[in-house]
Parts: sequence; C-alpha cells; structure tokens
Amino acid sequence: MKKIEVRDLTVDYGEREERFTALDGVSFSVKSGEFVSVVGSSGCGKSTLLSVLEGITRPSGGTAVIDGAPIVGPGTDRGVVFQHYSLFPWMTARHNVTFGVKQARKDLSPKRRLEVADEFLNQVGLEGFKDKYPSQLSGGMQQRVAIARALAMDAEILLMDEPFGALDAKNRIKLQELLLRLWEGRERKKTVVFVTHDIDEAILLSDRVVMLTNSPGRVHGEILVPFPRPRGRAKLVRTPEYSKLRSELLSLLFNDLSRKIGGEEVVL
Amino acid sequence: MKLFLRGSHLLFVLFLLVQLLPDARPSQAIYSVGFAVAAETASLLFAVLTLRTQRREAHLFFDLLAFVYASLIVWELLTAKFSILRAALFPPPGMIIAQIASDAGKITLNIRSSLGIILEGHALGLAAGIPLGLFLGWSARLGSVAAYVSKFLGSIPPVVYIPYGIALLPTFRSVSVLVIFLATFWPVLAGTMSGVLNVERRIIDSARVLNVSRFSMLFHIILPASLPQIFIGCNQGLSVSFVLLTSAEMIGARSGMGYYVKNYSDLGDYTRTVAGVLVIGTVVSTVMFFSNKLQNYLLRWKS
Ligand SMILES: Nc1ncnc2c1ncn2[C@@H]1O[C@H](COP(=O)(O)OP(=O)(O)OP(=O)(O)O)[C@@H](O)[C@H]1O
Ligand SMILES: [Mg+2]
Repeated sequence: MKKIEVRDLTVDYGEREERFTALDGVSFSVKSGEFVSVVGSSGCGKSTLLSVLEGITRPSGGTAVIDGAPIVGPGTDRGVVFQHYSLFPWMTARHNVTFGVKQARKDLSPKRRLEVADEFLNQVGLEGFKDKYPSQLSGGMQQRVAIARALAMDAEILLMDEPFGALDAKNRIKLQELLLRLWEGRERKKTVVFVTHDIDEAILLSDRVVMLTNSPGRVHGEILVPFPRPRGRAKLVRTPEYSKLRSELLSLLFNDLSRKIGGEEVVL
Repeated sequence: MKLFLRGSHLLFVLFLLVQLLPDARPSQAIYSVGFAVAAETASLLFAVLTLRTQRREAHLFFDLLAFVYASLIVWELLTAKFSILRAALFPPPGMIIAQIASDAGKITLNIRSSLGIILEGHALGLAAGIPLGLFLGWSARLGSVAAYVSKFLGSIPPVVYIPYGIALLPTFRSVSVLVIFLATFWPVLAGTMSGVLNVERRIIDSARVLNVSRFSMLFHIILPASLPQIFIGCNQGLSVSFVLLTSAEMIGARSGMGYYVKNYSDLGDYTRTVAGVLVIGTVVSTVMFFSNKLQNYLLRWKS
C-alpha cells in the first residue's frame, strides 16, 4: 500500500529571470509503515521536497499524493520536525509540546495532554527543562523539544528534516535509538520520511534510502536497506554487509560529485 | 558596612549637614528634612529586604535616590541658604513639599481626572488598534493596500483632530478621551501591523503544519509574535498622550494636572506651579515604570 506518492514533482522558486528550479521531475513513493531516508548534498532540494509533503509549498508541476489524494495543505496527519526546529518562542518547552498535542489529538483531556507532553519530553532527555523558554535552551535542546512535539502528536506520517543535525554525538545516538524503538515497537507503524546528511544514520534507521542530486534536484538512485529489525547499532556496524552497503551509498554520492567536477559547474 | 558607604547614604548625611547652615530666607526646612528622612528610612528598609536578591534593581533604586538627594542639596543651597535664585520664582524644597502636603486632596483629584482620561483613551486605543492591526496586517501579508492606508492616516498628528473633536463632542472630557484614543490608536495600529508583517515565516509555517484555526493563528501565534512591536506603538502612544493631555488641560480644562499648573502660574503662585510640575513628572514616570514592568513580564520569553 502506497502511503505517499510523488510523481514528476517540480518546484520553482521566484519569478521570471529570478526563477530557480529547486526540484526537477522527482518521483518516488513511500509504502505505508515504511521508513525512507532522503540523502543528498546541501542545497539539492531536500527541505523543498519535505515542504511539499508538509503542504507548505505548492508544486510547480507534477503531483504529490497522500493516501491517494493530492496534498492541498498542511494537516495533523503529518508530524513535522523542521530543519530550523522552529518552536514558538513565547511558549515554554512543555507548552510547545502540549500545543501540538492539542492540535493533533483533540480527543485528549487537557490533563492527559500534559502527561503525554511530559512523557515525550522525558524521553528526549529534557526532564529539568520543561518550563524553560526556547531562548533559554541550546540549539540541540530546542531540536529535541521539536522532536518531542512531533512524536507526541502521534501522527501517521512523520516528516523529519535533519532532526538530529544540531545534536552532540551522545544525544544523537540516544535519539536515533529512541526513534528506532518508537517506530519498530508499534503494530501499526508510522510512515517516515527522514532527511539526513549522515549515511550511517540513514542505514541504521531506514528501509530505503533515496539519493538526490544537486541543481536541479533529481532522484539519483534508491538503495534498499535489507537489514532485519529490530536493529542494534553496535551489532549492525560490525557486519560486512553494513560496510558494503555503506561504500555503495558513498560511491553513489561521490559519483554525483565527480560528475559535477567533470562537468561545467567547476569554479575554482 | 559596604551598605552604609553607598553614595545615596553619604549624600543624605551631606544634606543634613547643609541644613546646619543659616537660612537666608524662610525655608520650611522641617518638610524637606522630613521628606529626606522618610526616603532614607524607606531605602534602608529596602536595602535590608533586598540584601540577597534583585541586585540590579536595588542599584537602580539607590542611584535614583542619590540623584534626588543631590538635587535637594543644590536646590536648597541656591534658594534657602544663599538665596541666589529669585525668591518669588524659586521656592525652596521645604515649601514645595509643604505645599504638596497641604494640597494633597486637590492634587489627588486632579491626578485622578488626568489619569482617568489617559487610561480610558489608551485602553480604547489598544482595544481597537490591536485587533484591527492584526487583521489588517494579516491581510496585508496576503497582499493588500492596508499597509499604505494606515501609514497615511497614522502620519496625521492627533492634535489636529482636537478642533474637529470639539465640534463633534459635547464635553472637554470626551474630546480629550477621543484625542488620547487617536494618539494611542494610530501608533498601536501601525506597530501591530508592522509586527504582523515581520513575523518570521518559519514561525507561521510551524503553526500551519499544526493546522491551527484562523482564530488561533491570529491570537495564539501572530499576536504574541508581534507583541514587541505592539509595545513600541503602545509606548509611543502613551508618551504622546501625556503631552497632549497636559497641553489640552492647560488650554480648555477646569481640572487635571495641566490645569493645576497653568492656573497657579497665571495667579503667580510659583510654589504650586513647581509642585505641580514635580507631581506630573512623578506620575508620568510611575505610569511608565509600571507599564514597562508589565511589558517586560509579558515579554519574559525574549532572551
Ligand atoms: N524560498 C526560497 N526562495 C528561493 N530559493 C529557494 C528557497 N528555498 C530554497 N531555495 C533554493 O532551493 C534550493 C534547495 O533548497 P533546500 O532548502 O530544499 O535545500 P536542502 O537540500 O534542504 O539543503 P540543506 O541540506 O543545506 O538543508 C537551494 O538552492 C536554495 O537556494
Ligand atoms: Mg534543508
């Protein structure tokens, strides 16, 4: 069952002479309950792709479909973590999360919303910081609040744009494991589109990796990640299959780069 | 020990020493001494109470007090002690304080009248300016000419509405409220609109992906995000309001602090004139102080 389907997606920014094509004919799909990572170098249109799925950006061409219906706008069926993890600065960490929960799960009582918010804030390791305002938190902490908000909303689809980008190594690993646990541990799995720069992260978490190329963004290739679940980082990285897949992904990435160096875009 | 070496305490002692000099003209020094002693007692109490906390605020308070003592000393020397300034125009501090004390009832009545008009006009201005600004700002964001219209109307100084207001409205009070209303309304409307126009896109996007209702978008997202600029408009309105009202009271009123000052200076009673000026200064800065406190509280989330 296809949950998300993107076909021939084109996104242009700006008008006339300023026109810039960020995505050019991108097609891929995500099955229900599948975890797909999107990898590609900076500026290749990953965030743009997600913003189409979020319903924030209108495609200039092609279609983006969820559950068979074209995306017409944002909705709480999708939990979003932006690359810039924008929290509302006038709300405390806890209030930011409860606000999201309130929007997405109208059936919950206010008391229950608070419990859910606290539970997820604990899980991302922010026990002592619930009553702090975003300006009082570090970038990594703000990102964790944004992650807690998206997870607490319990949406069917998670759209995450480099959610662990601003984290230190320890918290990064902790949160990767939290995400794995939450995702693998459920009967009805969430569908996840996960943008990252980190090849190891992509392999550890996903069922499939979609690689984008630069200017304009196109799909460069897709690679299945066949490792059984539940996955454990420590065991996985020591297997030869892991190394093989990793070098395959890297060569795909560099293939793109070398092609560009061979082409006319080289400015040295 | 350090507690007693503060500038304000030293100036207090200096002020008492100045009182030992012989008077060159009657000074009612008992009042200024009484005032200084009361202030010093209060400051010592304050110092003991805030020994551990609120260091920054305490410093500010003591600096202010030091300034008051220094002014008292200079004023006392120039008037009562050496009679350098003309007696009729420059009463010594003791007489001014005595005058304020004996006129307390009358002064309170006038303050209440002025503040009543300010608060009413200001509250109406906020109540109209903020929602309208949110609405117009939001539609301007979506591309309308609202921004330019409000710029034009806001550039008209509110005083020019006075004659028109007098023709329209029956009493001085209602005209004053109208003028204060306009003086608040325009800057608040403009501030709110520019606040709305400048809300970061990513904040709005975060709200959009949470699928907030239109009401929630305006009042739970846009309003708090625009608050800093709304307050700029608010403060502008408030300070213009005081200027406008005291001027208006000097021209056409039978009450209010502006009337008090104008009336007694016409009668040549400069003790009361100076007393009125000082009272106006105190009232305005007190209102500004609390308004700032409230704003800082509402913006406590800003770094
Ligand atoms: N609002 C916009 N207006 C004009 N151009 C834009 C806009 N947003 C993005 N772009 C351009 O589109 C291209 C893709 O941007 P996008 O943010 O999607 O890249 P990305 O893959 O997410 O990069 P990164 O990994 O650095 O986050 C970039 O070249 C960028 O300059
Ligand atoms: Mg990006």
